[in-house]
Amino acid sequence: MEVLVLLEYLVATVIRFWLSKSDYNKLIADRVEISTPLNSWKRVTEGAALYNVGTSPYLGDMFHDNPLWLVAFNWMLQNVPQYITYIFILSDMMTAHLLFLTAQKFVGNLLTRQINEQKNYAKVSRQLLVSPEDVRMAPIFVVTAYLFNPYTVLTCAAHATTVFANLFLAIMLYATVNGHILLCCTALALSAQQAMYTVILIVPVCMYLAQGKQNKTFYMAMIATTFSTILCGLIYLSYHIAGSWDFVYATYGFILTVPDLRPNIGLFWYFFTEMFEHFRVLFLCAFQMNAAVLYLGPLAFRLHAEPMLLSTSLITLIAIFKSYPSLGDVGFYLALLPMWKHLFHYMQQGFIVSCFFIITSVLGPTVWHLWIYNRSANANFYFGVTLAFATAQIFLVTDLLFAYIKREYAVMHGLPRTIDGKEAKLVLESSNF
Amino acid sequence: MMKHFVFFIISIHLAFCVFQEDHFYEELLLKPLPSGHVYSYFQFTTVWNTDYNSHKFDHSHLFPRSLGEVVGRFNIQELHISLTEGLWRHESWGYPVNDAPPGAEVWAWFRKDCEDVDKKWKELTAALSGLLCASLNFIDSSNSISPELSFRLSGADNLLNPLNHTHLRYATLPREIVCTENLTPWKKLLPCDSKKGLATLLNAGHIHNTNYHSLGIHLRQICKPDSNCEEPIIELTQTVSLVYDLVILESSTQDWSVRKLFGIGLGGSCPLAESSLVYLDVSSNQTGSPFLLTPEPHERVVSSKGGYTSEFAVFDIKKMGDKLFNIALTHEKPRIYHLNVPPVIYANRYIVGYGQEQGGIVTKLHNTHWAPITVIFLENIPWFVPIYFHTLKIRSGGKEIKPILKKFVPGKERIRPYYLEVVVELKPRSVTEISIEFDYMFLKWQEYPPDANHGFYVGSAVITALLPVARNFTGLPQEGSLFASSMNASRPSYLIQLRTEALIINLPTPDFSMPYNVICLACTVVALAFGPIHNITTKKLLMMKINNDKGIGGFIKRAKFALSKLKSKFQKNETTEETPNSCSCSETKNKDD
Repeated sequence: MEVLVLLEYLVATVIRFWLSKSDYNKLIADRVEISTPLNSWKRVTEGAALYNVGTSPYLGDMFHDNPLWLVAFNWMLQNVPQYITYIFILSDMMTAHLLFLTAQKFVGNLLTRQINEQKNYAKVSRQLLVSPEDVRMAPIFVVTAYLFNPYTVLTCAAHATTVFANLFLAIMLYATVNGHILLCCTALALSAQQAMYTVILIVPVCMYLAQGKQNKTFYMAMIATTFSTILCGLIYLSYHIAGSWDFVYATYGFILTVPDLRPNIGLFWYFFTEMFEHFRVLFLCAFQMNAAVLYLGPLAFRLHAEPMLLSTSLITLIAIFKSYPSLGDVGFYLALLPMWKHLFHYMQQGFIVSCFFIITSVLGPTVWHLWIYNRSANANFYFGVTLAFATAQIFLVTDLLFAYIKREYAVMHGLPRTIDGKEAKLVLESSNF
Repeated sequence: MMKHFVFFIISIHLAFCVFQEDHFYEELLLKPLPSGHVYSYFQFTTVWNTDYNSHKFDHSHLFPRSLGEVVGRFNIQELHISLTEGLWRHESWGYPVNDAPPGAEVWAWFRKDCEDVDKKWKELTAALSGLLCASLNFIDSSNSISPELSFRLSGADNLLNPLNHTHLRYATLPREIVCTENLTPWKKLLPCDSKKGLATLLNAGHIHNTNYHSLGIHLRQICKPDSNCEEPIIELTQTVSLVYDLVILESSTQDWSVRKLFGIGLGGSCPLAESSLVYLDVSSNQTGSPFLLTPEPHERVVSSKGGYTSEFAVFDIKKMGDKLFNIALTHEKPRIYHLNVPPVIYANRYIVGYGQEQGGIVTKLHNTHWAPITVIFLENIPWFVPIYFHTLKIRSGGKEIKPILKKFVPGKERIRPYYLEVVVELKPRSVTEISIEFDYMFLKWQEYPPDANHGFYVGSAVITALLPVARNFTGLPQEGSLFASSMNASRPSYLIQLRTEALIINLPTPDFSMPYNVICLACTVVALAFGPIHNITTKKLLMMKINNDKGIGGFIKRAKFALSKLKSKFQKNETTEETPNSCSCSETKNKDD
């Protein structure tokens, strides 16, 4: 089995390398679905070029990454320009491997927990439970889903900086399941520096790390303090590098106020292109809340027993609703799904969702070409495709959550749905008990 | 009797002029261009022998008071405005006296003591907009730059404490259409309006019939002649440049006259003018097909500068009296067109790329001289055409050349344009290509103009150079106010500024009829997530008995239930249930083994 995994890494590396070096590279890097104003490598190059001539890149419209990243990318472009492709591929492989290790550990933990709790479970059929086979196979599925998902492959080939954002999220997940608080907080802080929305993942991280601890509140507070200290430290360091606070508006302000209306796979661009000026602020607030904090509280309460599912669903919801999403984000959360292999039994919309994904992935570039190059279609066509893509992703995440609660119910109450020997049905009721 | 009375009034006026120490001069230069076009350049100069003081503008004599008030109020040291229709074709026409880009161009130097230049600039353009009936009020800091190198004070400056570029603002409106409504207020600034003098030739009908016409207003401070420039005085120059295509005027012959060009003959000079002269460039009489001039000029001046000699026939309107007369030029034989020798430096500019995603702007600079020439290249790119500084490439003869200096201030959406200034040495007899890439931007739907698919204009680039030779050069030397000062004015170098073509970029447009639909659809998708997650997080899964309702509703439900049971029996003993819960979207069917 190790041979298989190694072979996967090798093949994935070769594919990425070939795409990066081929003539398609520019074509891929220019796709709006892959490169957004936040992660495009062309803009990073622009930022570094301005930084080198002594002009602050944050004065302009082009560069929106953090000063820390600016310095790092600038170093790469100045000193090792010929190895940049390798750095990207290596980061992607590290992400894949970290996800592999995370999945291994996490599904192992699930199995252990299941064995401990099994006495409380109702008599259920075997397929609802995590099996030792899952512990072996889930990580392989995870790593395969990451390595061979076209979305991640293309993101890596386009040199989108989402590759590094994904790496930090993977480090964060790995550190969480292994209980490395400092590493976890650092990775999350670095990720939050770049993507901002991921800052809310501190909640599932706290919940996961505090599981089974004596003094939960204290422990959570400690983690949160560590995280905020690191985050503040990084922001101060950024300020120190940039020399002024201009970067705050150019990075976080840019993410929050959405001034660049270049199409992407998200919901923001056309919505705010067509928005009436006097409602703009209202809807900006509403959409940003929807992307960042709206689901955090309710899901945290509902999924308190399973912080990892909370992480997964929050990462998914952020990828769907953030202001400049790219396919790299979608590829990342899709790779997390095989960890929830034991929920697949209750997932009903897999077929619809996969059809949607395939159709929109084909239709998107097609209608884009018709709109931008042939001028025979218009913006509505592309908007329609992005709407369908977002809908598919929403179906996927809600399906996963429904599957979780149904499985949870079935595990505790047994599979047959009968009351006093009569047929009964499962309903969602708002109840006071 | 009446004549005497008029004379009396005029002499009082002239005496007053001397007292006021301001002088007005009118000049007209007519030049047949090698391509067969005729270039006519009117220059009305007012020199006011006074120091700069904002109160001075409250009382003016020949100087237009409306402009003076604006200048005094906004603390302006130097002001240049041009309103142009058409494009000056350097390659075939040579250099004009004053170069101007298509559309409107304004640049102003504010005085040293002026604070808050941006605010003053906005107010100034608003005032000028009213003064000239042009849309100059659309100029603000979002389309203005402060170039460091390209523009210098064209007049006197304090050498000990010179002004720097922070007091300079430059902006263009390439979309501005120039028409009669600009010409009329422009003429009102002249002391004689268009009632007398050379300005009577400026009839809207004939001016807007040209290939190129440009109105200009240039205000600067100059040194008093024969002084050490301790107290600079004020000079206002109003110019009109016109290029006539004789083929359009009358295709049968190459002969032309003032009457043919302007529709009216000359009828005396403006009585307030010190001098009123018409210069006709007759250099081509030696080299090209000979022609005859009627009437005979009062004087012929041979001017030799920078290695090139030209000859002018000078008509003094003051000597011609008040009756209408015509200056005509007749060819004896059909005119033969010679091969056009392009000027030392000229440029052209265009957009490359296809589709509305990515493109590039390419400017080609031609140097026809045998020696290298250093030029300053200035770009003022609007914020909706975001350019990538790192893609700036300068190539010549297939090889990349390094610029001597690069200045770049990145633009910001809706706040500041992109400013790029490059100093580059053009190799001898070469074509240098300056290219930069840009992205097509997507704007908010209300930011598009009413005819969104017409495209967006990008203003001209400005190329500044010091020419070593005066070939095709017609400009005045810096210290000169009148055309006479350019005769035999050899200098080590000749400053030229040329403007390239303006560009049109077709930005991708949204569907303007869609706002309600888009808002509804996008919100629906958000609700698709909100609904189920709300259900999952606030409700609990419960097992419910299927209640056997009475009545028709109950009967239907029971029938459905029985039917589903029957169905499930056929499908290998699977039980299928229905949850009639309508609030959860993905909970409509539950399948169980």
